[in-house]
Amino acid sequence: MENCNEDYRIQSFDVDTQKLLKTALKDPSSVNLEKVSNILVNQSLKDHLFSKEAGRICYTIVQAEAKQNNGTVFRRHLLNRLQQEFKEREETRKRSLQGWVCYVTFICNIFDYLKVNNMPMVALVLPVYDCLMRLAQPDALLNEEEVDCLVLQLHRIGEQLEKVNSQRMDELFFLLRDGFLLQEGLTSMARLLLLEVLEFRAGGWMLSSTAHKYYYSEIAD
Amino acid sequence: MSHRYRATRSDAHDSDFKHRSSGPSRWSHCRKRGIDGSLRSHSDEDGDDGHSDSRNSSFTTPESAAPVSRCGRQSDWGSQVEDEEMRRDVHRDMQRRRILGSEVNQRERKTSSGSSGSCDSREGENMETDEAVLMRRQKQISYGKNTLAYDRYIKEVPKHMRQPGVHPKTPNKFRKYSRRSWDQQIKLWRVKLHAWDPPAGCSQEHTLSDNIEELDLDDIVDIELDFPALADSQNAPSSLLVHSSTAENEDCSATPVKVKKTEDPDVA
Repeated sequence: MENCNEDYRIQSFDVDTQKLLKTALKDPSSVNLEKVSNILVNQSLKDHLFSKEAGRICYTIVQAEAKQNNGTVFRRHLLNRLQQEFKEREETRKRSLQGWVCYVTFICNIFDYLKVNNMPMVALVLPVYDCLMRLAQPDALLNEEEVDCLVLQLHRIGEQLEKVNSQRMDELFFLLRDGFLLQEGLTSMARLLLLEVLEFRAGGWMLSSTAHKYYYSEIAD
Repeated sequence: MSHRYRATRSDAHDSDFKHRSSGPSRWSHCRKRGIDGSLRSHSDEDGDDGHSDSRNSSFTTPESAAPVSRCGRQSDWGSQVEDEEMRRDVHRDMQRRRILGSEVNQRERKTSSGSSGSCDSREGENMETDEAVLMRRQKQISYGKNTLAYDRYIKEVPKHMRQPGVHPKTPNKFRKYSRRSWDQQIKLWRVKLHAWDPPAGCSQEHTLSDNIEELDLDDIVDIELDFPALADSQNAPSSLLVHSSTAENEDCSATPVKVKKTEDPDVA
């Protein structure tokens, strides 16, 4: 698997770990899957770039294990780690904003990639919403990092989330409207991001071409 | 909620971690599903003992392992997702069964596994449809199928060669049975499957596969004598395995000793 590094962005790991991961992808039952899942989770919690696409490698290992022996060991460890981190998210946020943002990015990416019979995992829906709602709180909106994370996730999985629970999405967007309108101390970038996501959802999870031009054409230039 | 549910718990609570292959070695996987008696098959009534101490103490008394009805039996995401998956599979099976019902029913009437004391209910007319029951039964079946014994069994005896009474047959979860009857069938099925447990002394499985068609006996004799030379030949992988199996043959006391397409560490 020569393109393994690019596909799964595992260059950030040391050589031995890379080898372990590559083996996990090909022959999951031959490795300690609990260890592998911890490696991936731990990296996702500190490396933002990695957390954005970590779902891919996780997905592949899950599939490989299922195919090899109908096993679900890796997935189970992964999900239970995620749950553990979810319970401690408030402490994580206090300790490290970056860590918190990484966590949200990671869990949303897992939600995106790991499906059960092509449906999102029900167990993750409310936790994901809880995370996004937290990002939409007044104190979080003051941090561009958190606003940025929030809108990115909504772009990636907003539509799916709404499908499985539209009421929660409505609640989230009440918060976003209030935030945009009433929150003092928002940076102009934060306001821009919020406005864009409001329009994005209003447009059925896509931007009209004119709106797209407004928000993105300047960047391209 | 308690934070005590850690990934590492599974090591300490190996024996409690009843139902999944999370043991340290591949083989504990087999042992865990061994015939421990009814404790294993009554997965739901165990109250998920592996998780009882991860529950909030306000739900249960510390010693009790009673399931929490409010949040469902398992509150960890891993189990929730597995349950979700099983639920979908069960529903899909139900749909299939409804469509294929009569056809299957005819076939099944001919075979009668020794363990089935069933009230031969006709498919479609009297199918078990209670989701909770189906899920529980499916779990019990999955535990049995998730064993090395089952793997070896299905490799060795293709379906069309199975003889009723002689070969274990998976109980039909869609038939109406009393709880006792069902649990008994599962027990007997699991017992029968044990005939295919991997032999204790061997570290490798040996199964006869289609290799038998590719090799004629002359090759086997040649291999033993000319082992090094054959490394270049096309038949090398399977030939080598025959060689290694005949060597280990004496060590294993398993009933059918056979050749399997495993990777020989010497042949990279």
